[in-house]
Amino acid sequence: MNSEVNAKAQPASALAGVRVVEYTEVASASFCARLLGDAGADVVKVEPPQGDRYRRHGPFPDGHPDPDWSGMFLYLNANKRGVGLDLQAPCQNAAFSELVAKADILIVGGQSAEIAEQGLRRQALQHLNPGLIVTAITPFGLSGPNSAYVGDDLTAVASGGLSFATPGVPDGVEDPVKEPPLTASTPLAELMTGVLGAAGCVAALLARQFSGQGCEIDLSLQEGVAAVMPYELAHAAYHEPKKRELLGFALMPNVYMPCKDGYVVIMAVLEGHWRNLMEAAGNPDWGDLEVFATAQERGRNWDALESLLLEWTMSHTGEEIAHLAQERGVPCFPAYSVGQMMESPHVTERGFLQELTSPGGRSFKLPGHPIRMAATPWRSFRPAPRLGQHTAEVLRDWLGWPEDKAQALSILPLP
Amino acid sequence: MTPPPLPLQGIRVADFGQVIAAPVTAQMLGWLGAEVILVETESRFTTRVWPPFADGEFGINNSGGFNLVNSNKLSCSLDLRSPDARELAKGIIRVSDVLVENYATGVMENLGLGYDEVKKLRPDIIYMSLGAFGRSGPFKNLTGFHSVINLFSGLAAVTGYPGSHPRIMGGLIPDAFAGCYGVLAVLEALYHRSRTGEGQFIEVSMTEALTGMIPEAVMEYSLTGKEQPRTGNRNGRKAPHNVFRCLGEEKWIAISVETDEQFRALAQATGNPGWADDARFVTPAARLENQDALESLVQQWTAGQDVAEVVATLQAADVPVAAVSDSAEVFADPHLAERGFVAHVEHPVAGKRPVLSLPWAADGRRVDNLRPAPTFGQHNQWVLKELLQVPDEEYERLVASGAIG
Repeated sequence: MNSEVNAKAQPASALAGVRVVEYTEVASASFCARLLGDAGADVVKVEPPQGDRYRRHGPFPDGHPDPDWSGMFLYLNANKRGVGLDLQAPCQNAAFSELVAKADILIVGGQSAEIAEQGLRRQALQHLNPGLIVTAITPFGLSGPNSAYVGDDLTAVASGGLSFATPGVPDGVEDPVKEPPLTASTPLAELMTGVLGAAGCVAALLARQFSGQGCEIDLSLQEGVAAVMPYELAHAAYHEPKKRELLGFALMPNVYMPCKDGYVVIMAVLEGHWRNLMEAAGNPDWGDLEVFATAQERGRNWDALESLLLEWTMSHTGEEIAHLAQERGVPCFPAYSVGQMMESPHVTERGFLQELTSPGGRSFKLPGHPIRMAATPWRSFRPAPRLGQHTAEVLRDWLGWPEDKAQALSILPLP
Repeated sequence: MTPPPLPLQGIRVADFGQVIAAPVTAQMLGWLGAEVILVETESRFTTRVWPPFADGEFGINNSGGFNLVNSNKLSCSLDLRSPDARELAKGIIRVSDVLVENYATGVMENLGLGYDEVKKLRPDIIYMSLGAFGRSGPFKNLTGFHSVINLFSGLAAVTGYPGSHPRIMGGLIPDAFAGCYGVLAVLEALYHRSRTGEGQFIEVSMTEALTGMIPEAVMEYSLTGKEQPRTGNRNGRKAPHNVFRCLGEEKWIAISVETDEQFRALAQATGNPGWADDARFVTPAARLENQDALESLVQQWTAGQDVAEVVATLQAADVPVAAVSDSAEVFADPHLAERGFVAHVEHPVAGKRPVLSLPWAADGRRVDNLRPAPTFGQHNQWVLKELLQVPDEEYERLVASGAIG
């Protein structure tokens, strides 16, 4: 594959000229492909006639369902071209095969058995294209005793160990012993695994430069979760699992506690931090007490210390406490709402959020891309595609089909 | 037959990582075939002096937190407070393709190892700088550890129960997750360099990595000014979708049912076929509406059973379920072991311990030669004498002066 010569006006893209086909309805694999599109790959999202499930997900900016304006779909599928193909119809399935034959990478995701049944394992495709890289993201992987298990984001957070470890800060709950394992109200396992999938794709591109051969990348949501918690897992490998008793930390204060207008986290385990925290709190008499002299002592006598610290935190707002502590170098921060985060000067100045406008004229925001590469910056090349928007265009570009043939296949009934 | 080359064969990485984030990036680059040289300074120890220690015994080579994020690396101990040591560090950078670092903002510049300096030594270097809040903006100097990142990014705001305060995710995920973005960035930059010869500066922000996980909440607030409600373990589209107690202490199962077909299978498998005809549960909307009642029925069924039994029964019926595993259970999972994701390595000081491997397999292949984390300064001789060709006498002088070690 040759690198495309980039127009002088625009900076280069890291993955310019790389062709990707995506065929999936799971967030992990869609996000994986989107990240490659952000880096300049030519990503073609192939959708069945009823459209990707996230087209029906929302939130919808104009207040009514619209398959082209579902927030989650827009986020997962920016920087892609959209091709509508019904793989059950032989001539359309043949077009899919032709696209795969021209691709560098095919990204698929879903239950392992479905991927095999649909003929999307690399073994079934490599005759089309020996250089093809197939990346499959599944709940439990393509191999191993549990590979046939079905699952989703919740089962991944549970089986990867993250749910058990949450909440993750001492004293962060009303009933520290009894509160059940918890996940977030967002598909975090899917999105985290999507990032690893994208890394796997680029690693395979680099390997192909040596070997000339593609490969099959097998990545599970369960492993995607466990991979981001090595420190938590180290406790089991080296000593014993941390108990879900949240006052189990021996060193204090490392604590999430209420304040006048919400909650703050305060970490003042190191001696310097502890002294500075006491200064921030106005040097109370008890700051010098023998029973609070070391982090271990403060852990042992936490009940007494907690009620004293609470007197201070409950008389200040989270912002006040964080300001007093951070200006003395003590790690401390209030619990921000999503709105506080979005309107903070930090997020505004860095320009992380992207602004879009709906057909009804409503403007809204979505997160941007957290990698900033100086020579090959990510770009917003195009919004997520309408269903089948680029079918004819891609068949012409990739397969060299004449206009009439491409147009004939591109007329798909909308749901 | 010899296996084909690994993706990063011939690539060298200078690792100035601290704690978890950049060390995770460098570790994964090592697993992909790069030679990773960890440049360590005793006065800046973090995980080496933090628990857990092997069997509770303190020791800088005995820390699980260090050993699980630094496998397959070489350790070169340099006291970066010394100008001589900083010259040696520059020597390492000169022969490296990639540099990764996540010191507090400004530390690398103060050491004379900022991108502008480093690029003079090695013009095509790929320099990945990872910061809690990034390297620009009013919060760039704030101390940010995982709970701060959870609380700022909005992830904690969407974690917890209706009517209660935000919860902080466990597992210190902001650090390692940002480290994974670091891997993606470095690989993209290497691909670009392979085609153009051009290196570059890369910045990754932990908070932005996490905010990228809450697109719906961001969009909702921008449209309506309202916060996305916290839903505990529940989901706006699926019911039952929660964790349920099983037999034994702290034994839980996660069950997630979306379609009518899955619900009928759940009803059959639990021996309650009547659930499927119950007017309260016949459609996804009805199940969401009546999930209190539904969850209590499911809870009654799971309560007297082993987790493994529940998993086997429901997975046989194609109902999405999984055990809520603690860390020890993740390491003991035979599925993960057979897939090669969990492995065991013999560490010279800490002994034989379970470790994680590369989180994906390429044609079944993960890491050809999984090696334990290095002891402090273990590879000084090789890195400094062999690679940098420091003469013996000079080496001894630098050890004596404290620049090395």
